[in-house]
Amino acid sequence: MKVIMSLLFFDMAFWFYLATMILYIGYWIIKKEWLGQASTVLAIISTFAIFMMLIFRTKESGHAPFSNLYESMSFFVWIISIAYLVIEFRYKIKVVGAFVMSIAFIAMLATSMLPYRFQDIQPLNPALQSIWFELHVFSAFIGYAGFGLALGMAVMYLIKARFEESKTSHFLIDRLPPSAILDELSYKSVAWGFVFFTMGALILGAVWANKAWGTYWSWDPKETWSLITWFVYAAYLHARVTRGWRGKKAAYVAIFGFLSTVFLYWGVSFVLPGLHTYASQ
Amino acid sequence: MTTSDKDPIHIIIGNKIWGLFGSLKFTLFILFSLAVFSIIGTVIQQNQPPAFYTMEYGKWASLILRLGLEDMYHARWFSTLLVFLIVNIVVCTIDRFPPKWKSTFESKVDVDARFIKNLLNNHTIILNDEPALARERIMNVLRSKRYKIKEANNAGGMSIYAWKGMIGRFGSDVVHVSLLLILAGVIIGSIVGFKDFGAFYEGEVTTIPVSEFQFGIDSSWHGIPLPKIQRYRKASDIQLRLDKFWIDYYETGQTKQYNSILTVSDNGKEVIKGKQIWVNAPLHYKGLTFYQSSYGMAYDKVKQAEFVLKNSKSGKAIAPFFTADWNTPFDIPGTDYRIRIVGFVSDFAFDPATKTIFPKSAEHNNPAINVEIYKAGKLVSRPWLFYNYTDLFAAIPGSDYELVFQRYQGILYTGLSINKDPGTTVVWAGSVLMVVGFFMAFFIFHKKIWINVKRNGNETEVYVGGMINKNKFIFERELSEIAESIKSDISGGVRK
Repeated sequence: MKVIMSLLFFDMAFWFYLATMILYIGYWIIKKEWLGQASTVLAIISTFAIFMMLIFRTKESGHAPFSNLYESMSFFVWIISIAYLVIEFRYKIKVVGAFVMSIAFIAMLATSMLPYRFQDIQPLNPALQSIWFELHVFSAFIGYAGFGLALGMAVMYLIKARFEESKTSHFLIDRLPPSAILDELSYKSVAWGFVFFTMGALILGAVWANKAWGTYWSWDPKETWSLITWFVYAAYLHARVTRGWRGKKAAYVAIFGFLSTVFLYWGVSFVLPGLHTYASQ
Repeated sequence: MTTSDKDPIHIIIGNKIWGLFGSLKFTLFILFSLAVFSIIGTVIQQNQPPAFYTMEYGKWASLILRLGLEDMYHARWFSTLLVFLIVNIVVCTIDRFPPKWKSTFESKVDVDARFIKNLLNNHTIILNDEPALARERIMNVLRSKRYKIKEANNAGGMSIYAWKGMIGRFGSDVVHVSLLLILAGVIIGSIVGFKDFGAFYEGEVTTIPVSEFQFGIDSSWHGIPLPKIQRYRKASDIQLRLDKFWIDYYETGQTKQYNSILTVSDNGKEVIKGKQIWVNAPLHYKGLTFYQSSYGMAYDKVKQAEFVLKNSKSGKAIAPFFTADWNTPFDIPGTDYRIRIVGFVSDFAFDPATKTIFPKSAEHNNPAINVEIYKAGKLVSRPWLFYNYTDLFAAIPGSDYELVFQRYQGILYTGLSINKDPGTTVVWAGSVLMVVGFFMAFFIFHKKIWINVKRNGNETEVYVGGMINKNKFIFERELSEIAESIKSDISGGVRK
């Protein structure tokens, strides 16, 4: 099948994301207003490029663009970019972009390094032909994006909080938002991520499994790992309510949660066998 | 729960245990333990025969089997943690819900300026207007922001209490209840539900067995009588007939879809006629669900088979091939022989002890067909002919003919999963409730605002302060906006 246009837009998006990441980091270092504006413009262009890639992919394949890692990673990059732009416009903090766009670019890099067969379009096998499958993946990936943002915020929080505590100063760290705001944003990202992750990965996944296989839960490794991830973020949300666990410990849990997410997304497909192995086929 | 020194020891211990079960540390402990046990369950392959673990893990195998790690999610460890989770949720709710309910609904209305100034977010505004006019402004601002309002007059002036998003405080409780509901659904399913699998051939009618249960007593554990659920299978009144099974392919040759057409009869009456099912589109009837789950080729039957009759000396075919249907006598063209297919095995095997032929597996590794040969109405032979080894045995002894089993058309069967799980509905209800609870907890914020208006000489002093349960930064902005609106378009307003 023809996949020319989507590959073209993917390659374009790849270079745009690289440039966006460099500009945001540049803005963080030299803090020039024009550089900040250029970063935002380029971020919007990158987001649009990966969106066009998804549109053409859908047109070329005839199904929603999440049937393999190549497609779903691109979708992840798109969602996390939109989420980041919303935060930028709402909170007016551009330095965060250096971290989030790095995550987006690393995702693009990982996607581009996938074996060639992933770029090819495969027709959907019988189990995947369901609206529940599409809703399941769509919602789960909003969750992944939320967790990805939370990771960025948690890392920044830990750096910033360390400097605030020791009252030391460094021009790069001083330009990060106050730790209280980073903590709040990390929490908000987890909250959004957790809602969509629960809805998509667990509930809609269970609805789909029940339709396709006749059981809403079968302890398949992917299912189990999404539950593990859910336990970790549930722990995060409870930890934040407990006085001694707020701040640093919660930030570590958020980082641990994202590691679990990465394993859930990549590790399970390649390492552990199960119903979801079609993702690696 | 408070404990005093005078309390008897069992009360003190009871309160300690209650306190532990109701603590957030206990919640974190359970969540992390569940995560760790689940991880172990994905690393050690589950539900394999004991020999597998001996081979894979050597001396660790006995430990794995003893601790039940080979069936982690049904092991005592895991169920114990889930019971702890339930206890934790119940205890926390009993401890925290009543005071939360009280503090949410019973807020003070009449407060003084000092109370407001002690709030994290507060503003002081000095107006030149009369208090009555100021009150009017404040009310308009709060109403336009959709706050609910209560007011009280006091000695120095008046107090206003405004709030919104009260429901958000109960989001976490809704989520906790929904989790209990989902677990209840899982338990109902494990008691009442069952899952079965069957292979169905086109045209065949099968009576569906169902699984029932009754409560009994189990005394195997130290002779202590414990309740037990006994399950048994019985035939139901429901019969299923497969009308048709077929596979759709993509142009590339990959499988597109598996389809079955089913007819269901209940008590001899057809209730569902010719309903098509496929993967992701099952059939429901009376709490039973029929899923398209697999398919295969029959191992003990064929639809028809193709033979060639040859001259055993010259090896030349006497006539072109002929095709015979299963169990249907067929006159071999150009001869006075008649043939009938009476048996088939997909993977030929012979048991010398019982002298019987049986299929070694369902795979078509060594297909063999059993035919009867008649001459003038009399049975002359009953040979097995092999698909892979054409001239192993003489088909018609004492003749110049040789019969070759050349090709066959198998019968496809459809593999259907048959399920009953009334707990599923409860699980879905819990899931919906959980999502509702999340939206309440994460996206609706309980905002409380107190305003005190006081006349001081020619001026009116307005103190505005507020509290929010989450999302402090957004609220800070909103409160500033409210203070700004109260101040603006009132002539001479000054904000300190």
